[in-house]
Amino acid sequence: MAQHTLEVLVENSPGVLARVSGLFARRAYNIERLTVGPTANPEVSQMDIVVSVEGHALEQVIAQLDKLINVIAIKEIKPESAPEVHDTQPDYQN
Amino acid sequence: MSQVTGAQSLVSSLEAAGVDVMFGIPGGAILPAYDPIFDSKIRHILVRHEQGAGHAATGYAQVTGRVGVCIATSGPGATNLVTPLADAAMDSVPMVAITGQVPSLAIGTDAFQEADIRGITMPFAKHNYLITDPADIPRAIAEAFHIASTGRPGPVLVDIAKDALQKMTEFNYPTSVNLKGYQPRLEPNAQAIADAAALITQSSKPVFYVGGGVIKADANRELLEIANLLGAPVVTTLMARGAFPDSHPLHLGMPGMHGTVAAVTALQKADLLITLGARFDDRVTGKLSTFATNAKVIHCDIDPAEIHKNRFADVPVIGDLKHTLQALIPALKAALAKNKPDLTAWLRQMNSLKSTYPLGYGQPSDGSLSPQYVIERLGKISGPDTIFTSGVGQHQMWAAQFINYENPRTWLNSGGLGTMGYAVPAAMGAKVGAPDTTVWAIDGDGCFQMTNQELVTCALNDIPVKIAIINNESLGMVRQWQTLFYEGRYSNTSLESKRVPNFPMLAEAMGCVGLSCERPEDVDATIEKAMNINDQPVVVDFRVHRDAMVWPMVAAGTSNDDIMIARETAPDWDSQEL
Repeated sequence: MAQHTLEVLVENSPGVLARVSGLFARRAYNIERLTVGPTANPEVSQMDIVVSVEGHALEQVIAQLDKLINVIAIKEIKPESAPEVHDTQPDYQN
Repeated sequence: MSQVTGAQSLVSSLEAAGVDVMFGIPGGAILPAYDPIFDSKIRHILVRHEQGAGHAATGYAQVTGRVGVCIATSGPGATNLVTPLADAAMDSVPMVAITGQVPSLAIGTDAFQEADIRGITMPFAKHNYLITDPADIPRAIAEAFHIASTGRPGPVLVDIAKDALQKMTEFNYPTSVNLKGYQPRLEPNAQAIADAAALITQSSKPVFYVGGGVIKADANRELLEIANLLGAPVVTTLMARGAFPDSHPLHLGMPGMHGTVAAVTALQKADLLITLGARFDDRVTGKLSTFATNAKVIHCDIDPAEIHKNRFADVPVIGDLKHTLQALIPALKAALAKNKPDLTAWLRQMNSLKSTYPLGYGQPSDGSLSPQYVIERLGKISGPDTIFTSGVGQHQMWAAQFINYENPRTWLNSGGLGTMGYAVPAAMGAKVGAPDTTVWAIDGDGCFQMTNQELVTCALNDIPVKIAIINNESLGMVRQWQTLFYEGRYSNTSLESKRVPNFPMLAEAMGCVGLSCERPEDVDATIEKAMNINDQPVVVDFRVHRDAMVWPMVAAGTSNDDIMIARETAPDWDSQEL
């Protein structure tokens, strides 16, 4: 399975790590690696999540993460190219 | 600004959020809140079990479209709300649950009546809060109501530590809510609308696959308009019964495991599913890999995570369904003016199935009462303005099949979670939300024994609901599966409820009128008698034949192509032009 790196900006609120890790567990998504760190804004933390999924499953992971109220923005970091930005207003893709 | 307790701030916040009624039970940790509730203009209905409070909030919300509110104490009070919260999540019901929590310094010490209800509800609540600072109460309440009622509706829990209710604070209700991570998209993308309209004009076998989202979005008028405009058949899922009139000639009925042959086959044979607020649930699709294999999919939903979840969408349209249909109708009109597909053959095939395989049932040869007959007569006699709730099982399927629904918000059931015991408390909440409307709970004898204690609440609070117990003295749906798949080995499904309890006496003991009926010739008179009692709850024990089964049926895990209209009886496909 392909590995994808997601850079997730979250509100720095209690329980947010449990919300994110719990989502991965109950929807049976495989986390390869998860790190949490501060950002310049003390109210916002950044999670870097490496996930192993194929095809549309990645879109599902991103869409389900986006549903968490404390998740502000999600970027997929593609190794060879510029980050693809996903936010709470997903663009229409045909 | 004057100082108030956190408890007063909570009650003032609930008033500011527009709450007019809440269902709950006090206890230690939430006790400070009950003091200002005593003086509030909010009606508090004291239930007999927190699960009843939760389902009542759901019933109220489903009927009114407003947020339902329930309130409980910490520990067991909160955990008793877990089932209704999970139920509301599965059926996208706007609900706010308030729970007391042990004092903030005791959190994490395994204190008396401590349970981590925020952690417990995290997997299914749309969002939840643990409040330990009284200054946070107004913002949390404002956000909770905003989150519960916007986007895809859902349950939000606000857990408040007892000391936060007791400390002094300022009440300052926010005028607006701004959540960086939550901005539901209401307006559909213009290109998506254009693509959807174009795809519809290229289809010769389209079906409107209508889910509960149409009712949530109050988009039933728009659905009627677009269905008439295209002239394509419509199917309404279990959660969408009432979204489109059953009397409409384009309506093929309910799809799914116990759907009509016409509705199930329309989805299977379609070349286009115009999916409106539905989520390709396994009870609708049957074996997913064999579902509607020749169909393209337009998927209109407010929840982006539903797109491609179970079924790939050729054209996803994310937005509020009312806005979506208001945009799609003119776009489709313009597209049809240039290119109107001929749906005559498709409609003829579907109408042939509809007339060849109507829903039906046999009368027991021994003259005993048929459950389907009772439910059919309930629908006919009480009329299309009546609100029906149901529990879960055979009676639920028959109530979805044999009552004609003409209006949205008249059919309330636990569709996603399948919560036995939903009917009585949901009927209580529905009657509080629509006091001038007749509310019938169609319940099973198994379901009724899970939550009937709320009839005491109804009797004492002038909530005259009507309960029809479809008493087949069994866990009927489980028994049906034992008949079909376990060689008739009826392990633990006989409830003996024609012997014990005596339902009419139980009803009378709870302050209700108790009636009983076991002969077909008495059904109408019994229903009419119940209809004429409006100052007390009424319970009717309909003692029905225990071997009746729900048909048609697509067995779990099998393909919709293998729908059976009776035991070992498939439709005669060779006689159908498909």
